[in-house]
Amino acid sequence: MNTAMNATMNSTAWLIRREFWENRAIWVIPGVIGAIMLLAALFGNIEHLALPAEFPTPAVGQIFLVAVVTTFFAVMSIYSTWYLLDCLYADRKDRSVLFWKSLPISDTTTVMSKLATALLVIPLVYFVAGDLTSLLMAFIVSVRASALVGGALWHADLWLQLQVFWLYLIVTAAIWFLPIAAYLLVISAWAKRAVMLWSILPPIAAILVERWFFGTHVIAHQIGTRLVSLPAVAFNTKLGSWTTTVVDHGTVRTPADIWSFLNLGGFLANPATWIGAAVGVALILGAIQLRMRRTEI
Amino acid sequence: MPALIEARDLTKKYGAHVALNRANFSVEAGRIVGLIGPNGAGKTTALRAILGLTTYEGQLSVLGREPFRDRTQLMHDASFIADVAVLPAWLRVDHAIDFVAGVHPRFRRDRAVALLAKTEITGKRRLRELSKGMKTQVHLALTMAIDAKLLVLDEPTLGLDILARSAFYDALVNDYMDETRTILITTHQVEEVENLLTDVLFIEKGRIVLDSSLDDIATRYAAVAVGADRIDAARAEKPFYERRMLGKLVLYFEHPDLDKLARLGEVHTPSVADLFVAKLSGGVE
Repeated sequence: MNTAMNATMNSTAWLIRREFWENRAIWVIPGVIGAIMLLAALFGNIEHLALPAEFPTPAVGQIFLVAVVTTFFAVMSIYSTWYLLDCLYADRKDRSVLFWKSLPISDTTTVMSKLATALLVIPLVYFVAGDLTSLLMAFIVSVRASALVGGALWHADLWLQLQVFWLYLIVTAAIWFLPIAAYLLVISAWAKRAVMLWSILPPIAAILVERWFFGTHVIAHQIGTRLVSLPAVAFNTKLGSWTTTVVDHGTVRTPADIWSFLNLGGFLANPATWIGAAVGVALILGAIQLRMRRTEI
Repeated sequence: MPALIEARDLTKKYGAHVALNRANFSVEAGRIVGLIGPNGAGKTTALRAILGLTTYEGQLSVLGREPFRDRTQLMHDASFIADVAVLPAWLRVDHAIDFVAGVHPRFRRDRAVALLAKTEITGKRRLRELSKGMKTQVHLALTMAIDAKLLVLDEPTLGLDILARSAFYDALVNDYMDETRTILITTHQVEEVENLLTDVLFIEKGRIVLDSSLDDIATRYAAVAVGADRIDAARAEKPFYERRMLGKLVLYFEHPDLDKLARLGEVHTPSVADLFVAKLSGGVE
């Protein structure tokens, strides 16, 4: 049993390495985003950046650091969708699946390695790239616009809190988006062509059928909720606990501290979390069965 | 010792199409078996079933395992090349070796490296940069470095030129084959593999129509070329097939009376290719 576990872990590590060989975009895209941002910080017109006097410096730092990493994750969500749709389809299309299947690696291990790459490995790569970029940018901006920005972007405590925040977000997002990732893997393992189109058609068809026959929109609501409500489910967004700062033209609100912002208890107690996870597991089992049976297009 | 591959009533249907129709065959250890049949006869389906790549009905045991259920375990002891053009284009040669060495306990890295050292292929090259012949060499080096009990080759030389094909089979026989190994091979080019096979399986319309060692073929079948004056006498011996060749008529016999045939004309053992045509062309014209 232990040997089998070790063999599976070993295969998984090689399969993830393999994903980096095949999909160089995993690190090239965040590298390019980081390079563009650093060039903007180096050569952009920021010498005259000014801050309102009453603006609290931790809020500036927070907004800045969050904005940089969020940009990375926004691009990542598009890339990861494409990755999940492609990963069990591309090797069937070029028939290289026949080579991979000639090796002693189970289809379960293969599918799980793709899932782990999409939900954990790629987010961590983007997170590290975003983090490094934000640190370098903060340094560059602080030097170039030192008169006005000063040390606003440097708060070790704040930075450490944000690390916790992002790692928490990655883990909760992995659980929350499991059904969507698993659904994309099913399409990837099943479709004979046009994976993108096939991924969109079933939900649209289900929504239309529901509307025509029952006049309801439960499916549309469920899908919409799944896509947008992670912040509401995993974070404490009630503004009461937030610090409100009034500046010239309006208000800026930031969480009082990271610990009151994370809502792990609420996330774990939410039935939607576990219903989604259960649907995700069922879809993963389906993707594995398809992978076992569908060798070629 | 039980057979390495044992198929009983092996059946595979794709909708209304029956690709394998209660096929029965077995492959013994240490043999080089050719699975030979016309297009659409079920060759590839049979191999896919043996390799655990498809579900099937009936009974199938490969190295004592059920292939579809135990594919992962089976691939520890069996390896296959299903057409040589399937290595992914983006893969680098050195990464391919690293990967197989990483995941396959029976892969011998030194052997793969030694095989590639004989070629002009360098490690940093990607598969997409290599010619088809070079891709074959890479795939062959990877596969031959695995200490497998069973090697399955599905049309391994498809699309290769005659030099590359010949080099492929030379490497297979000289560097790879020994008494611990068994090879199952399908190909259109029967003439090319005829000299290395020990056994043949003829498959037609999803059924095995001949399962024989080449030694048995020599005793079981005979062909005789007769002149026009002896055709009737020869036909009286009940040939199962006949064809015209260079002005003579060649008649094929199963369980022949060799003494009688010798009096009619020149007797020889039919080649696998000829026997294939004779068996599958269906009766006397």
